[in-house]
Amino acid sequence: MRIQATMKLFLPLFFSVLSLTSISAAPLKINGSTTVNLPVAEAAEILRTEQKMEIQVDTQGGSAGGISMLGDGLVQMGMSSKPVSEDDRSKYPKCDFRPIHIGEDAVALIVSKDVWENGVHTLNKTQLKDIYEGRVKNWKDVGGERAQRIAFFNKEPGRGTWEVFVHWLYGSPKAAPQVNFPEVGGNEETRSKVASTPGALSQLSASWADGKSVFALALVGEDGVPVPPESQNIATHKYPLSRPLFVLTNGEPSGGAKTMVDFLLGERGQALVQKHGYLPLKALHP
Amino acid sequence: MRRGLDIVMGCVAGGCLLACLTISTGLVWSIARRGWGALSFSFFTEQIALVGASGGILWNLVGTTVLLSTAFLACAPLAVSLALMERVWLRSESMKKALRLGLYTANGLPSIVFGLFGFLVFVQWCGWGKSWLAGGLVLAMSMLPTVTLVVLERMAAIPQRYIAAATGLGLSQSQVAWAVLLKQSWGGLISGSLLGLARAAGETAPIMFTATIFAGVTFPKGVVENPVLTLPYHIFILAQDSFAAGVETKMWGTALVLLGLVFSMSVAALPSRLYLHEESDV
Amino acid sequence: MTRVLSWLLSALAIGAFGFLLCVFLFQSGPVWQSEGTRYITGVSWFYRQDVFGALSLIYGSLAVTAVALLLAGPLGLGAAVFLSEYLPQKARLALKIPLELLAGIPSVVFGLLGIALLRDWVYRTFAKFDPLSGDTLLTAGILLAVMILPTMVSLCDDALRSVSGAQRQAARALGLTRAETIWNIVLPQASRGIASAFLLSVGRALGETVAVFLVIGRQDNNLPHPWYSPAPLLEAGQTLTTKLGGAETNIAFGDPLHWAAIMGLGVLLLVLTAGATCLGTLGRRRHA
Repeated sequence: MRIQATMKLFLPLFFSVLSLTSISAAPLKINGSTTVNLPVAEAAEILRTEQKMEIQVDTQGGSAGGISMLGDGLVQMGMSSKPVSEDDRSKYPKCDFRPIHIGEDAVALIVSKDVWENGVHTLNKTQLKDIYEGRVKNWKDVGGERAQRIAFFNKEPGRGTWEVFVHWLYGSPKAAPQVNFPEVGGNEETRSKVASTPGALSQLSASWADGKSVFALALVGEDGVPVPPESQNIATHKYPLSRPLFVLTNGEPSGGAKTMVDFLLGERGQALVQKHGYLPLKALHP
Repeated sequence: MRRGLDIVMGCVAGGCLLACLTISTGLVWSIARRGWGALSFSFFTEQIALVGASGGILWNLVGTTVLLSTAFLACAPLAVSLALMERVWLRSESMKKALRLGLYTANGLPSIVFGLFGFLVFVQWCGWGKSWLAGGLVLAMSMLPTVTLVVLERMAAIPQRYIAAATGLGLSQSQVAWAVLLKQSWGGLISGSLLGLARAAGETAPIMFTATIFAGVTFPKGVVENPVLTLPYHIFILAQDSFAAGVETKMWGTALVLLGLVFSMSVAALPSRLYLHEESDV
Repeated sequence: MTRVLSWLLSALAIGAFGFLLCVFLFQSGPVWQSEGTRYITGVSWFYRQDVFGALSLIYGSLAVTAVALLLAGPLGLGAAVFLSEYLPQKARLALKIPLELLAGIPSVVFGLLGIALLRDWVYRTFAKFDPLSGDTLLTAGILLAVMILPTMVSLCDDALRSVSGAQRQAARALGLTRAETIWNIVLPQASRGIASAFLLSVGRALGETVAVFLVIGRQDNNLPHPWYSPAPLLEAGQTLTTKLGGAETNIAFGDPLHWAAIMGLGVLLLVLTAGATCLGTLGRRRHA
């Protein structure tokens, strides 16, 4: 008797709790590149207070994490600091990746202060290949005045920065040779390790190269002219490692994702892009 | 000569202890020194702003609390049942031995393994996405052996005559279990849980694939796709991806708060643990 | 009722752990099929080329654990000897509290401390061996040593105190000094307990993830030539756990072979830690 009464009381309660869990307004979930994260996370903070939107932001696995979680349907918006490749599309055939260009950045090759003071201010493609493939291990062989070992930190796999870098050097990530270097993940980790290690070299978003603790090298093209990763050169793509920053949606953005995209492309969103050291869209099409 | 050796031995051993204590207090001091500046009332009552550079850690604290409460609720009944199995229901000595050995072995399993298991089972197969419940259950699994072992230890320390007296009064096994074993050992459940929770509170590896994200959630409203913010993951992300000078102080402040949380739990569990240890060994 | 409930809940708990084991074994199946024993003996790991040899990861795990044990072992044992043989009861208990404090520092905070204090120290101290950076297997080993120190002290202390006081008194009555009593009576009798303290600490060190992740440098395929060379200790490396906690786990999901290789690392880790813990426990129990 009593059990039945209790059941009568609790079962509906139980089911209403269950249904609550399923109908609660779906939040907008975003995951991906730590580079793109900075303006997006700040935009999310604004939209949360102004529009009372629910937006979750995470940076697990970098750009590749953003692409795969969007592909798996775990998030509604990805962030990527590299273009979506054919490989990505064929891995997730069900997902209709729509990259939305929100700004422009560049991958800088950064060195520590002592390397900069050693006279290394430029590198060309051949020299970088030599370093990446382990044939050159000393700064003296690539323009340094005195002998100094090269401590190369490679960005970990999956990071947009790494993909843009090897894409430029070798044509595609698959064609990149097998190498073993210490790996770095996030941008701050890269910056602090390069800043604190003599002889260090790594790939890093140009906006983080502050010119005080880490220094961005100019890249020498085939014409022999060094091109530093400065706004002008990034905007015109004269700097070869320029890269677009994207947010990604599956199909046309809708709902919360559309609000976010509109905000990012609007004036205030673009100001955030600029605030974090990237080029806003209008700098690209003056 | 012998006298001299005696003194040297004492000095070396004392030196070792001194070194251990210096390391311990030195490390705590260096955390406190770096994090102290971040602590203020608003650090506990505000949410993250400017990607960690500003604001506080309110929802990280709440999230960690949610995970720990879930872990405790899921773990406690299982721990008690397992302990009762060993004490009361299992008859064969070899079964008991196997259970104890299993518990000790499980106690040494690395937490990342539980994280991957939770990722596969809860996040992927059950389709929960990142969820506080997944994290809570994963933490419950990782702390279950510890809690069970402490409860067991406490039950084993109950004088045999209590049980004999209860049985003599005609109580059934179940009644003995409730009236004697559980009643006398609930302190063990509390201190064991505090111990397990203290370790669980600082874990990053098991929850980073299952339960926690960097920003943008408050209190969970359901199960599916309802992650939480947590203290350890906050530190982990800031360590790799902070971008402004202000972040560093906030990061160490978070570390200090986490340390305080863990330490208060393990100290709360300490007296009963030491007492038990001393008594059962002498 | 109580009986049924505790059977059910216990079955649930044991079932969950059994399920965990099955999940790891089955999910790692493809890599055993495709690589066979090469999975364990293979020296290179290049996931883009589907080459999965975990030897360097196993080496990394064992190397950092060995460093940790070499440092924390003697230090912890010495401290435990002082705690249990020299100090009165009250002082012992009081001194256990700061050690408990050390045990309470979460893994990720240890990682922060490693970045802030240890990396540069290792780089400067070993400058004459010319390490490329402060992120080395040695750095990770030293950090782990500090992390397992409390476990070490407390388990060794337990082992020492399980030797009965009567034996000590008898030895002293025969005219042995305190040091002689410790060397000839207490340590030999506690040796099994001490051995298991070492084994249990090994289990702990092998499974540590986040702290090691932040200071080890995460360089694949770092192996010594010849096998006993200590040179890789001053280079960056990778352990089973740092690979599992790193970027590849996210990338691997969805690619059956790569995911199997990742889960296989979990199996190896389970086998190693469970082995160490299990042996350690058996020694401890028979002794007590």
